[in-house]
Amino acid sequence: MKRLFTILAIIMAVLATILSVLPLSNLAFFPALAALIFASMAYFLSKKSGDPKKIIHFIFLLSIISLVLSTYKAMFTETEVTNTEELKAKEKESKEDALEDLEELDLGDISIN
Amino acid sequence: MKHLLFLFCSIVTVTTLAQNNAIAPGEKLMYTASYNMSGILTDIAEVTMETSEVKTSKATLLRLKCTATTYSKWDNFFKIVDLYESYVNPNSLTPYLHKRDINEGSYYKYMKYTFDHKTNTIKSIQRKKNNQEENKNFSFNSGTKDIVSTLYNIRLFNYQNMNIGSKKSFTIVFDREEVKAQITYLGKETLDTKIGKMACYKLAISSSENVLQGQNNNLIWLTADNNKVIVYGKFKIPVGNGELKIKSAQGLKN
Repeated sequence: MKRLFTILAIIMAVLATILSVLPLSNLAFFPALAALIFASMAYFLSKKSGDPKKIIHFIFLLSIISLVLSTYKAMFTETEVTNTEELKAKEKESKEDALEDLEELDLGDISIN
Repeated sequence: MKHLLFLFCSIVTVTTLAQNNAIAPGEKLMYTASYNMSGILTDIAEVTMETSEVKTSKATLLRLKCTATTYSKWDNFFKIVDLYESYVNPNSLTPYLHKRDINEGSYYKYMKYTFDHKTNTIKSIQRKKNNQEENKNFSFNSGTKDIVSTLYNIRLFNYQNMNIGSKKSFTIVFDREEVKAQITYLGKETLDTKIGKMACYKLAISSSENVLQGQNNNLIWLTADNNKVIVYGKFKIPVGNGELKIKSAQGLKN
């Protein structure tokens, strides 16, 4: 049982660490919390049997790092658009083309001033 | 026959009564689009809706422009640079030219519709990533609009006298096909938005195609003032669900 909890905790902690460094960092909260729960169970069982707990400490560390990183990113990372040049160029070109097209249209009988 | 007549009447009513008293040139609305990932809403893109005046030698038209760009953190994973435009009659929002230029990850599509309202035909040009051009002319029913002018046209309806559950039908031309859509008035609600606490009209949008899923899963809230600005939207599409929240509003008419 202790082994199962340890394996599950390792998987969740690694997943949380990977997610926390990606733009999907908001999703890291679930595996990080799951890793903490599994690691706590494994820790409790290890304590009972007197087995070494080094790996469990490492899982706690990984989970806490991913939680801190995700929280920091959620609170302080500004979501912004920086690549506006491409869009601006596209808009300009599109407007110029549109003006040419509109000049060819027969708008004479439509009451637009 | 009864249904056809009803549809015809609603389209005629919508097109003849809808006069632009809500949208002015120089208006700029900015939104944040979020996508639901495993129950957590993640900000994906910035959506901008902007209007401006366009002068030709014959007339002054209103340019309705909608853009969608992913936030920079997503650009290495899935970059979106979309541009939707419509050149419309400033009084009735009748479209003359519509352009759609979408660049989403490895997918690219360009579509141009030139509306001829005398013959009720649309001259379309479609271009895809391989640069292959496809021209096609097709007819459309009177009152049909493109997606952008429809979005703005929703703001011209008079919701003040509508009863809860009342519906308005309209036809949108999308991917060279006419799609029937409907909005249902669901009443008034007060929302706390980035531009303040606003009394809003709550509307449900549904379409005959599978683009929008469910009956009341696609909702928009328009401010219950003369501007009728879209301040919040909830949508459910085949690939998931998300939200659209207003960030800022400038140059409003009223």
